Amino acid sequence: MTKKRDVVQVKNPKSGHYVKIDRSAGKILSHKKSPKPYKNIPVARKSKENKK
Amino acid sequence: MIFYRPTEGDVEDKPIVLTPRTCFLMTKLGKPISEDILKIRKSITSVLSKYEFGCIDANSLMTGKDFLLKIWRLAMGVPLGVAIIDSSMKSQTMANIFYEVGWMQSQGKETLIIKTIDAKIPSDFVRTEYINFDTDFINRFNAFLTSIDEAAVYYGFLGDQLENNPLLSIDYYRRAFLITGSEEYQSKAKEVFERSDFKGRAKNSVESLHCGFATGNQIIKKICSN
Repeated sequence: MTKKRDVVQVKNPKSGHYVKIDRSAGKILSHKKSPKPYKNIPVARKSKENKK
Repeated sequence: MIFYRPTEGDVEDKPIVLTPRTCFLMTKLGKPISEDILKIRKSITSVLSKYEFGCIDANSLMTGKDFLLKIWRLAMGVPLGVAIIDSSMKSQTMANIFYEVGWMQSQGKETLIIKTIDAKIPSDFVRTEYINFDTDFINRFNAFLTSIDEAAVYYGFLGDQLENNPLLSIDYYRRAFLITGSEEYQSKAKEVFERSDFKGRAKNSVESLHCGFATGNQIIKKICSN
């Protein structure tokens, strides 16, 4: 049985492109070449408790 | 982060003094200095102080030791490097400046080139952000400094996302801390460090040096922005 991955995407404000992250492995998987987000990958957002 | 000293290629095993919210200026320091450079420098310092950024250059610290190593340590301890160039600069000066810009980029520092309109940038730096010193300079420099603060939020957030990779997570918190000087990132890094069973490591181990900004192993110096 394969382990379920916890994959999200975050927008890099410098490049304006999305970065795909595997949270369970603590790994950056890839950088999107176009400015559009990856399909079917949730965009990670700051939780309220993290906000200043 | 493993730092290799540019003088002999050995690993830096002493904690580098960190100066958060500080800009390292790379430009011609020895006389004669052109009027353009003096004007740009004055303008940069004034804008930086509005953003509570301090400013240092290669002459900011007297150590009596190796000059190259001294400026390398200064550059490695700050979040931001700004190069100022004009067309009157000799090629040797330009080479030194771009060598330092290269150091900083390779270590994940924010970098910017500010140039007079007629100054030319070497082709390998075409993707490096630059601003011409013209009528729109202040607006563009303001926008750049705002983007740095956005980058810090992004680095901090990546630190949160990458907690299962402790060294990488701590490194993102360190970058966010360098830009903001915020204790929030120090505590987050310390949490990751303690959770990761790095506590028993030697003080000059890679892990301890890496997290020194959060554990107190590293000196944090505040540079006055005024």
